[in-house]
Amino acid sequence: MTTEPAAERRAAPRTLADELRSRTDDALAALLRARPDLLSPVPGDLSQLATRAGARPSVLRALERLDRFALQAAEALAVAPDPSPYGELAALLPGGEEELPRALGLLRERALVWGGDDRLRLVRTARELLAPSASRPSPTGLGPSLAEATAGMSPGRLQEILTAAGLPTTHDPVSALESLASLFGDRERMDALLGQAPEEARAMLAKLMWGPPYGEVSEVPSPPVRWLLDRALLLPAAPRTVVLPREVALHLRGGRAHRRLEPLPPPVGPGRARTPAVADSAGAGQALAALAAVEELLELWSTDAGAPPVLRAGGLGVRDLKRTAVALDVSEPVAAFWIELAYAAGLLASDGEEGERYAPTPAYDAWLEEPPERRWTRLARAWLAATRLAGLVGGRDARSRTLGALGPGLDRGPAPELRRRTLGLLAAEPAGTAPEADAVAARLDWECPLRGGAELRGRIVRWTLTEAELLGVTGRGALTSYARPLLDGSAADPDTAGPEPETAGPDTAGPADTAASLLAPLLPEPLDHVLLQADLTAVAPGPLRRHLAETLNTLADVESKGGATVYRFTPESVRRALDAGHSAGDLHSFLAAHSRTPVPQPLAYLIDDVARRHGRLRVGAAGSYVRCDDDTLLAEIAADRRAASLGLRLLAPTVLAAQADPATLLERLRAMGYAPAAESAEGDVVVHRADALRTPPRTAPEPVPDGPPDPGAPLLAAAVRAIRSGDVAAGGAPPRPRRPVPAAPGGPPPRTPAADTLAVLRAAARRGTPVWIGHVDADGTAGQRVVEPVRVEGGLVTAYDHTAEEVRTYPLHRITGAADAGAPDGPAETAGRA
Amino acid sequence: MSCLIVQSDKTLLLEVDHEQADDCRRAIAPFAELERAPEHIHTYRLTPLGLWNARAAGHDAEQVVDALVTYSRYPVPHALLVDVAETMDRYGRLRLLKHPVHGLVLESSDRPVLEEILRSKRIQPLVGARIDPDTVAVHPSERGQIKQALLKLGWPAEDLAGYVDGEAHPIELDEDGWALRPYQRQAVENFWHGGSGVVVLPCGAGKTLVGAGAMATAKATTLILVTNTVSARQWKSELVRRTSLTESEVGEYSGAKKEIRPVTIATYQVLTTKRKGVYPHLELFDSRDWGLIVYDEVHLLPAPVFKFTADLQARRRIGLTATLVREDGRESDVFSLIGPKRFDAPWKEIEAQGYIAPADCVEVRVDLTESERLAYATAESDEKYRFCSTTASKQRVTEALVRRHAGQQTLVIGQYIDQLDELGEHLGAPVIKGDTGNAQREKLFDAFRAGELSVLVVSKVANFSIDLPEATVAIQVSGTFGSRQEEAQRLGRVLRPKADGHEARFYSVVARDTVDQDFAAHRQRFLAEQGYAYRIVDASELLAGDEEPDEVG
Repeated sequence: MTTEPAAERRAAPRTLADELRSRTDDALAALLRARPDLLSPVPGDLSQLATRAGARPSVLRALERLDRFALQAAEALAVAPDPSPYGELAALLPGGEEELPRALGLLRERALVWGGDDRLRLVRTARELLAPSASRPSPTGLGPSLAEATAGMSPGRLQEILTAAGLPTTHDPVSALESLASLFGDRERMDALLGQAPEEARAMLAKLMWGPPYGEVSEVPSPPVRWLLDRALLLPAAPRTVVLPREVALHLRGGRAHRRLEPLPPPVGPGRARTPAVADSAGAGQALAALAAVEELLELWSTDAGAPPVLRAGGLGVRDLKRTAVALDVSEPVAAFWIELAYAAGLLASDGEEGERYAPTPAYDAWLEEPPERRWTRLARAWLAATRLAGLVGGRDARSRTLGALGPGLDRGPAPELRRRTLGLLAAEPAGTAPEADAVAARLDWECPLRGGAELRGRIVRWTLTEAELLGVTGRGALTSYARPLLDGSAADPDTAGPEPETAGPDTAGPADTAASLLAPLLPEPLDHVLLQADLTAVAPGPLRRHLAETLNTLADVESKGGATVYRFTPESVRRALDAGHSAGDLHSFLAAHSRTPVPQPLAYLIDDVARRHGRLRVGAAGSYVRCDDDTLLAEIAADRRAASLGLRLLAPTVLAAQADPATLLERLRAMGYAPAAESAEGDVVVHRADALRTPPRTAPEPVPDGPPDPGAPLLAAAVRAIRSGDVAAGGAPPRPRRPVPAAPGGPPPRTPAADTLAVLRAAARRGTPVWIGHVDADGTAGQRVVEPVRVEGGLVTAYDHTAEEVRTYPLHRITGAADAGAPDGPAETAGRA
Repeated sequence: MSCLIVQSDKTLLLEVDHEQADDCRRAIAPFAELERAPEHIHTYRLTPLGLWNARAAGHDAEQVVDALVTYSRYPVPHALLVDVAETMDRYGRLRLLKHPVHGLVLESSDRPVLEEILRSKRIQPLVGARIDPDTVAVHPSERGQIKQALLKLGWPAEDLAGYVDGEAHPIELDEDGWALRPYQRQAVENFWHGGSGVVVLPCGAGKTLVGAGAMATAKATTLILVTNTVSARQWKSELVRRTSLTESEVGEYSGAKKEIRPVTIATYQVLTTKRKGVYPHLELFDSRDWGLIVYDEVHLLPAPVFKFTADLQARRRIGLTATLVREDGRESDVFSLIGPKRFDAPWKEIEAQGYIAPADCVEVRVDLTESERLAYATAESDEKYRFCSTTASKQRVTEALVRRHAGQQTLVIGQYIDQLDELGEHLGAPVIKGDTGNAQREKLFDAFRAGELSVLVVSKVANFSIDLPEATVAIQVSGTFGSRQEEAQRLGRVLRPKADGHEARFYSVVARDTVDQDFAAHRQRFLAEQGYAYRIVDASELLAGDEEPDEVG
């Protein structure tokens, strides 16, 4: 079922490159989109593309991305003769007739299969990977073919076999094999032959029928084995090992290549149906809890005492994880999830200083300032794209070293794709439906059976569902409406945080904006009041305004969290507030202002009682001190203008405190003409106010997916164009009518200021229109080009160069100016490819 | 906006001023334990025991989830709902049944659970032969132990094996001029339908009458276990007064007397007396074919009594208490051995119905003198509490308070005998302490009740089950560190209904800036959590100009 009749009408393609050449641009773009690894770097022509498409790593990658049935079709092709007509392939896949065209179409699109329907060919590398060999049985459980298994057998032995199987002898081994193969392929004659087999021999065949096709036999084969060996129904594979030839197995299986053919994906539903509103409200509640959890975590790590050290091998120690879990009042896996999430979102990092520790990044402070729905989309997007798997924390790697949170070895390339696929399945269900995890896992087993390995895949699916629930991406197991837009965006989409003037319009709002605007109304309005009670608690019956929450956090201890927050006032907490610079009067008026009910007497009493004792003892910070029995001498030093910078203060008639450190103080006093002696440092109190820890600016860890990112449509189009023209240049294909290329306007190359150049290039990249640029070569030669910019980023312009007919990359600083070159359908003039 | 907030730590916050609050309270009360009931927001807690109590009372997980979801203001955390369903599902998978052939059997509706528990080392010695895949025989004597063990394993068994009727004995309530209050009647009814279990009522709400009501329903010989002799006498006089029972039908089994009658009242102390490693008075349990066993003050039940109780599982058991909170954390033993909670009414509700008097709680902060402060600062740490709670400053304030309420029935309660003796001497009031004889004790109580005595100084013994109906003022000078249930008891003393509707007053005298204050804070938190708003007053302010002129230097 070819998708391209035009290809058939021409001569049958001789090679894959030939076939690719006959494909339309759209089909090529589809191939490149499905196998983006072929794009880096962009191949020069179609022969190169075909070669690369047949390279082992690329084929492996392509096979990994096939669904179960397409894979089964490929496997069937791998055990069928090369090439095979469509009918023969279909016969190997009984029950899959209806789906086969789709599967074959997919294999063709991915350039794994080529050739007309009469001569279907699996790309050689794929065939090698999927066909059974002695070292690696095929996924079908089929063994080597008769010809392969008898390679090296003496001609005499072959003739003996023919005789035993009741066939006339032949002149040469080739015809002998043909004769045998035709016997094995003939249902009736084969049935008759097997009918004579001893009972035990048949049992043996039944055992090997579905694979693995190898069996062990004793040194001297038993009579039934003998019987089978004599008729080539079993063939020796190695000393004391026999193998069931593929043709025999296929006969026994009734021609089926697979024991269980799965042409259709297993259904994900029906899950538990809830109304979308229930899912949304549950999810929004959890989203809020997620923000609180991340904030609590980072506040905990903001202090000297709380910031955990970075292990020498990298990562967070087990004990620190435990401690954090206890402090957050969650289980360790959940704590690990929040930690990894904050890390992925760039909110925490190692500070890189001596005695390396983890601490919040400056981005955390910016994050805190954002509205809750924005904060949430930041987290959710970071989670979606992350390749680090928090679920692995606590497990062991291949060398049985424990995997720690934030440590190395947590990256798994397939994670983002599997995560998206999992959520995609949820999205495909009716809104509000919560499918079973097992059903989702089974569906993914079908959709990408080779992706990530069955075990890891199953775990990723389950982690995804758990984490989605924790994060509020799902609510009661169903995908929330506000998380849906996040799935639409491409994984490689850069965060829309950096607003460019042209994209800020409401109709170009990115998925994050849509998600945020959907989530916002679901979140409860922050409150500006609490309820104060006589048992010295305050209950905030909902989320609080920031400043109120901050002050309360200082003034009281949090006792219970959730939709509401319960605070408890204790003498210690009140003291903390006084230490933070609040006065008793401040606190009274603060409570009165934010309480909906009268302030209970015991609470007011508590504040006064603590305030009464607060500050009776004074502790100050001093760098050093001067002691002297002579009051007047000290007074003299304190009054000396030269000592002003030392920060001297007379604490008692015989003691001067100084802000300067002892060394400086000594030096300065000596300079002033005194002869001070240093005293031992004991008793010297140095108090530093503990600052909230922050790392230097840090970027979030880049996800490391195991494939290149999804190329955008413009890049694909440009690449296809480049390959195509490369192909023409290489003489591989007749020139096709070109797109009219705009001529470079006459005159000197444009010179524009850098900012304008950038704007013009960006605009052109967005619209896909050509621009006329002037640039300077590496050797300093000035020139001009008409190019169609595809991407403008990182100081580079990736563009399709009409003159050179290839995709090229220009450093921005070499471009002297840019101007619109007019619409591509401008005056047709073949570009000067002299 | 609804009135309930479900927190992720399994607490439920109920806004009491909300219009739906009453409905919501009714919906969640069966499965959630009221933990704190201050003025605006009540805190309930979901615990496995509470959820199983609800299951025992016939509620299912669906109802619980429904109540939470219906009244919750914010989405209920999914994990919590799952946990509720899972916890409740564990109750009743195992049932203790009476089998016509094999006697007592443990039956399971879930075979893997049965397999799991039978593998436990704790269960193995308690069970006999496997009768069929879902049933295993249980030694009848181990009925209590197996329930305890199963609860510890997290698979509480439902006890449907029934009860022996015991020796019948006619008992009627003598409702002449009084009647059981509606909540008391409800408590009796709930208990009887449940078979065995605990009734939780505040002090002063008439738990004795609930006991009497249960006896009148059972109409069988009854063993009543009480905390001490005074309490035993109280029960006796109350029973004779309120039921058809006569003096001769009610026996006392205590250190002093060893009577066994159709209704016998025994003290915990005599039961737990050990001689030569054995409990000589255990025979009491077998001395008659008891039809009902009443446990007074379940929260004080001593550990050995649990052991005896384990052997009494075929008898109906009713526990009476003001609080299920045990300082030793053996709530689960109460659940498995006496039975699930059958009735519960919070203090405030009964107070609102007018059955117990409201109380005004005042903490009086006393400034220590300079020399006292210095002495306190240098005291050994294990002496600190004793020192600060018995300082002379406190004595003075206490005496002033007593004088202030002169003419009102006043109780002075304390922990340290020296202090109490001294106070008694200064106030000219008799002191009741551990070594005061029972006869003397009752004489003094009678005099206090009659109003012949207006001030009484009592030690710890007064905490338990005495009845001082006319006390309107209680002054606590020192407590047992920070016991919550003691606070409840003490408050109970003055919460008894007053004839004249006088407001009761509860003073706690506390030395400022000492551990005394810390312990007081702990006790007071309990009071505030019970909904009693309290005030803190400086002694100097309270007494300023109060009785200065009278004060003799």
